[in-house]
Amino acid sequence: MAMSEVEMTKQQTALAEAGKKKKPVASTFKEMYLGPIVAFVLFISLWQLIPVVLGLPHYILPKPTDVWEATVSDWALLAEAIRITIFESVIGFLLSAVIGIGVSVLLASSKILERSIYPYAIILQTIPVVAVAPIVVIWFGAGFNSIVVISFLIGFFPVISNTLMGLNSADKNMDELFTLYNASRWQRMWKLRIPAAMPYIMAGLKISCTLSIVGAIVGEYVAGIGGGNGGLGYAITVAAIQVKTSFLFSCGIAAALLGISFYLLISLFSKMMLGSWHESAMKSEK
Amino acid sequence: MTIEQKQAVYFQNVSKMYNTGTIALNHFDFPVEEGEFISFLGPSGCGKSTALRMVAGLGSPTTGDVTVFGNTPEDLIKNTNDIAFVFQDANLLPWRSVLDNVLLPLELRGGNKKEKKEAAVKVLEMVGLKDHLKSYPRQLSGGMRMRVSIARALAAKPKLLLMDEPFAALDEITRQTLQMELLDIWEKEKMTVLFVTHNVYEAVFLSSKIAVMSARPGRLSSVIDVNLPYPREPGMRTDPAFSKYVGIASASLENHEQRKETV
Repeated sequence: MAMSEVEMTKQQTALAEAGKKKKPVASTFKEMYLGPIVAFVLFISLWQLIPVVLGLPHYILPKPTDVWEATVSDWALLAEAIRITIFESVIGFLLSAVIGIGVSVLLASSKILERSIYPYAIILQTIPVVAVAPIVVIWFGAGFNSIVVISFLIGFFPVISNTLMGLNSADKNMDELFTLYNASRWQRMWKLRIPAAMPYIMAGLKISCTLSIVGAIVGEYVAGIGGGNGGLGYAITVAAIQVKTSFLFSCGIAAALLGISFYLLISLFSKMMLGSWHESAMKSEK
Repeated sequence: MTIEQKQAVYFQNVSKMYNTGTIALNHFDFPVEEGEFISFLGPSGCGKSTALRMVAGLGSPTTGDVTVFGNTPEDLIKNTNDIAFVFQDANLLPWRSVLDNVLLPLELRGGNKKEKKEAAVKVLEMVGLKDHLKSYPRQLSGGMRMRVSIARALAAKPKLLLMDEPFAALDEITRQTLQMELLDIWEKEKMTVLFVTHNVYEAVFLSSKIAVMSARPGRLSSVIDVNLPYPREPGMRTDPAFSKYVGIASASLENHEQRKETV
């Protein structure tokens, strides 16, 4: 008896200590994550309940369990579609990043060029790419090429307008400092304007990376697949025709997750690029 | 002409009018001898910064001439490292380390890489930042940033150092330390310094000569020769002779009539 009592108290104190140590962790968990998790669970439960209560058929509003089933049973189809969409949007995004930054640097290196072309770049940005997509298809043919071009077009303008803004954002005093040291135009570009534009460029890339996915999906709606394998856009079109609503939900969720992961990846890249100095990347450190 | 060539900087009847019609500087005539430490002292709007910027070629006079070592500022900037400028803000590139910031003027001019680095490390040593070569500007205090800025200006071995209220944003203690360091450097390097300030005590403590300016329109109101011996020690700030010059400078700041003070 005495032995077990001693052990009991030992256990109790150990538990109490563990509890003390865990308390801050538990409280941050409570503050940070509990709310969103509860909201998520509530949302899913409501979603599960509503079709049952209202008697909605699964092709109008599928239950989360229906979506899950559709995802599992058509996984091979979905995975292939995701893979293709990733491929198309990554190429579209890389093109818009490289060409967008390149064209901006070229434009910004000449005031005359910039003044004459920038207004059109702004106007072009306001054209809904969906509206010109059929023209792209006529020029580049059905399938992959057109899809990449549409994805590129959608992502291109945020990069170019942000980069141009950034290239002109260098502090006036720093610009004068370069004048004082008789810096050449290219020295000013490489050592002052491009580094100063980095935060703006990164902001542009963050916008453009999610848009490039939109571009790839919309591109498939318009350009079809031209005999190749289809991505998410194609999978969505087919599922819509067959009224496979549950699978449509799977595709939508997959596209959303794709967008989020792409965005997080670019954010990480941006933090790496700006980490050493820029304030927007510093805030999390403070 | 011969007189002109001896001068480090010569303002000849310089006027500057901005497009808005404001007269920033009106018939400004002022010679700066080589090796002097000159302060332009005056209220805001008296054209002291405008005058300084003209010396660096960052703006040209509407009428009149500014010559630096007998040349135009533009020519000197194009061909030599003779002129260096320290801004009110430390004006460092945030993406470059302390060492790389100081290397910038040397980089822009080209030349031997190893020598450049040695020169940069040497000036950083001079301002007491040898242990912070790899730090970034955001990791430094305001005073240290200004030290980097001064080191950057000195890196290319200028003959003329232009400073536009460099210590205005610093706290009093840091300001006094940096004033001492600046005087040390000036005496060692035998440069000419043009220093813009609105702080009477700073002007008296640092300068061999003070050009007092008044505003609307910006003009020279008087020139004060500060006959206090160098090297100037911190204790001098409480010296009666120091106070006397502070009094003279303050009085001529209030007095808008043009006159020459000699004491």
